[in-house]
Amino acid sequence: MRYRALDDLRVIDVTHFIAGPYATKLLADMGADVIKVEPPWGEGGRKLGPNRNGIESSGTPDRGGLFAFLNLNKRAITINLKHDRGRELITRMLDGADLLIENFAPGTLASFGLAPDELIAKFPKLSVISISNFGQDGPERDGALNDLVLFARGGWTFPVGERDRAPLTPPGSLAQYVGAVYGAIGALQAIAARDFGLNRGQHIDISLLEATVATMIYETVTFQYSGIVRGRAGKRFAVGPFMIVTLKCKDGFAGLHCVTDKQFEGLCDLMGRRELLTDPRFRTALDRYGSNDALLKIVEEFFVDRDRKWLYSEGQRRAIPLVPIPSVAEVLDWEQTRARNYFETIDDPVLGKIRLPGTPLRLTSHRTEQSRPAPRLGEHNQEIFEGQLGLKRAELDALKIAGTI
Amino acid sequence: MKTIFDGKLRVLDLSMGWAGPLVGLMFAEMGAEVIKVEDTQHFDWWRGSLSMAAPEMQPIERASVFNTANRGKRGITLDLASPRGIEVLKRLIKVSDVLIENYSPRVMEKLGLPYSAVRAINPRMIMISMPSFGSDGPECEARGYGNTVEAMAGVTGLMGYHDGEQRYTLSNALGDPVGGLHGVFALLAALHERRRTGRGQWVELAQVEALIPFVTRSMLEYQFTGMVPRPRGNRHPEHAPHGIYRAAGDESWIAIACESDQQWKNLAAALSLDNLLNDDRFAVAANRKANEDALDASLSRAIAEMNADECVERLRTAGVLAAPVNSAPAVMGDPQLQSRDYFVAIDRAVVGTHLYPGAVANLPETPLRDDVPAPLLGEHNREVFREVLAMSDAEIAELEASGIIGSSPRQYRAAS
Repeated sequence: MRYRALDDLRVIDVTHFIAGPYATKLLADMGADVIKVEPPWGEGGRKLGPNRNGIESSGTPDRGGLFAFLNLNKRAITINLKHDRGRELITRMLDGADLLIENFAPGTLASFGLAPDELIAKFPKLSVISISNFGQDGPERDGALNDLVLFARGGWTFPVGERDRAPLTPPGSLAQYVGAVYGAIGALQAIAARDFGLNRGQHIDISLLEATVATMIYETVTFQYSGIVRGRAGKRFAVGPFMIVTLKCKDGFAGLHCVTDKQFEGLCDLMGRRELLTDPRFRTALDRYGSNDALLKIVEEFFVDRDRKWLYSEGQRRAIPLVPIPSVAEVLDWEQTRARNYFETIDDPVLGKIRLPGTPLRLTSHRTEQSRPAPRLGEHNQEIFEGQLGLKRAELDALKIAGTI
Repeated sequence: MKTIFDGKLRVLDLSMGWAGPLVGLMFAEMGAEVIKVEDTQHFDWWRGSLSMAAPEMQPIERASVFNTANRGKRGITLDLASPRGIEVLKRLIKVSDVLIENYSPRVMEKLGLPYSAVRAINPRMIMISMPSFGSDGPECEARGYGNTVEAMAGVTGLMGYHDGEQRYTLSNALGDPVGGLHGVFALLAALHERRRTGRGQWVELAQVEALIPFVTRSMLEYQFTGMVPRPRGNRHPEHAPHGIYRAAGDESWIAIACESDQQWKNLAAALSLDNLLNDDRFAVAANRKANEDALDASLSRAIAEMNADECVERLRTAGVLAAPVNSAPAVMGDPQLQSRDYFVAIDRAVVGTHLYPGAVANLPETPLRDDVPAPLLGEHNREVFREVLAMSDAEIAELEASGIIGSSPRQYRAAS
């Protein structure tokens, strides 16, 4: 789905893989005119899986499944930024643009003759958003990372898993997506600064590591206050004056979030064990901290014979945040998302019909439009180079032959 | 240097917990005047949920999470159960730009303040509601917190060891910060639109809908293969080694990933594992995946003897992806974060000075302001009512006397 709130913004998007493209997707979903600029051989993200023939990271020509999602609502052109003519073309694209968004290794843009500060000086309306692993400076500015390493270093991994096993890494690329949202916010912060009177653009620096750490406030601040470093607590979120736990039940797992006295009362009622409310082991939150293992055992024994649906409805009826733990297949089929028309069916030109998450937020100022599928490599070359930059067909052909577009 | 909003934007933050308050926090960083409104009876539950000290210790001022998520705000109290409290809130609505709420659906309606009423008071107001699962739909009333939102988004179902059945919740209640970040993004988009149309609007952010896109890849995998993806633990579908290994010392772990045969050779050379280097079972990626249990066992044995920092350093020098698995204090000691002064020292009344995670984006022309402490309960009552609503001292005193405002909880509510 696509809104129009940002339809006066033009974004030049030279990002690749996940963190950059998801940032510009958020802007495109809100109506910004996002022009994706790729090298003539396509950005690396086109090769990311999954594909119709499986999860391997190569296969379908032009795009894999993740690309088809991350690049909805964008237009795509190709420019080889290493060519002089390529630099010239993108410079012309930047004239009048509001945002240039990139997630190259720091210093790469400058090596193309496109140093952010020089671009901003040349085009005062323009802001440049850089999303990088570790930021634009510091001793490890040029360091490499992947999801496993980012989660580990940023602190997400250490407190999760069984005590007698290795810490357990989170799934997928969650932290990269968090970094992407910070990138999209950074872009709109640049726009807000201009809307509120700043008469020039700026170069905004976002580090994926810092974005990852920023979402760990439970740890970094709490340990300073308490002096306690949270360690692995198995199925429990932590051992504390609460019971936040992932429990095996008859047909899978359920998630229980029991923190307040009221929620504990609801839980006892659900289990038909109201006598626990006066049991000296569990009377106060502090008691429940001390008797956490005993409480866990009671809860485990109750959950294991119940099914998720019953637990969800009976738990919620008692105002306990108790949920089934759905598979992604079940999320796709969830009544709640269906009723809200959340998922969108996209007729992808390469992959066919796929169901994709809709916009993560709803504006009520105007109606939405259907999303446009992700563009083919260079799909909008003619439209943009001829229509917007006024290049002649013969010039386009020459650029093609030279490998510039 | 001026901030983005330079005090020219006023935000009313009625939210509690993490997701909503994070929105207010980030607007405070941008230089908006953020007024956190707490009910004198039901103040932000994040003040209490982790705190169990005796009342004279001011436990509600000692909650690390509250004191982090509410930095930069001015704190006021209002009895929202009383008509007089609502009347004062309406006066604040009239002179504000943004209203943040993350009550369960229909609470604003019960307070007499659905968006239609808010708009009638102030047509430029942008109001954001942040229900867990949406403000409509059959399950809109279900209660969700960060962890349960994370579960319903499909994240928890993907979280487990490659050889185990148990599922685990993430360490950071991811639904909360992800909801909050999208709230900031949504409000900035709505503010840009308001500049053109002159009108405010209601923004609805169902927190689960903000998080679901993060697992799109697994959803596509299911659509393409018909098989429900199961947890991969620390392993990767194509690459090996890809895991977390124990190093010498107490709770010292290293994450290591090889994404090519060359990186594997570099790893074996860097750690002097000649026997592995020459082992056919591990020569190419497909073999290493097929023999991953044996590979991990051999690597584990070798790394268990090594010092973590030294091992990571050697691997990085050899071009292998590696990092220590950082505990909270180790994160704070990370040399890259330190060199960028990421953490900010803030002196907060009652608790003293601590380091807090700083603003993430660096905006050189309009720096984010991330060094202002969180308010005490009702700390800015007088100041806000005097400055913003031009109340007389007599009126403020009367509100205080009648319990409409106050700076101490009328009834101490531990963890509820």
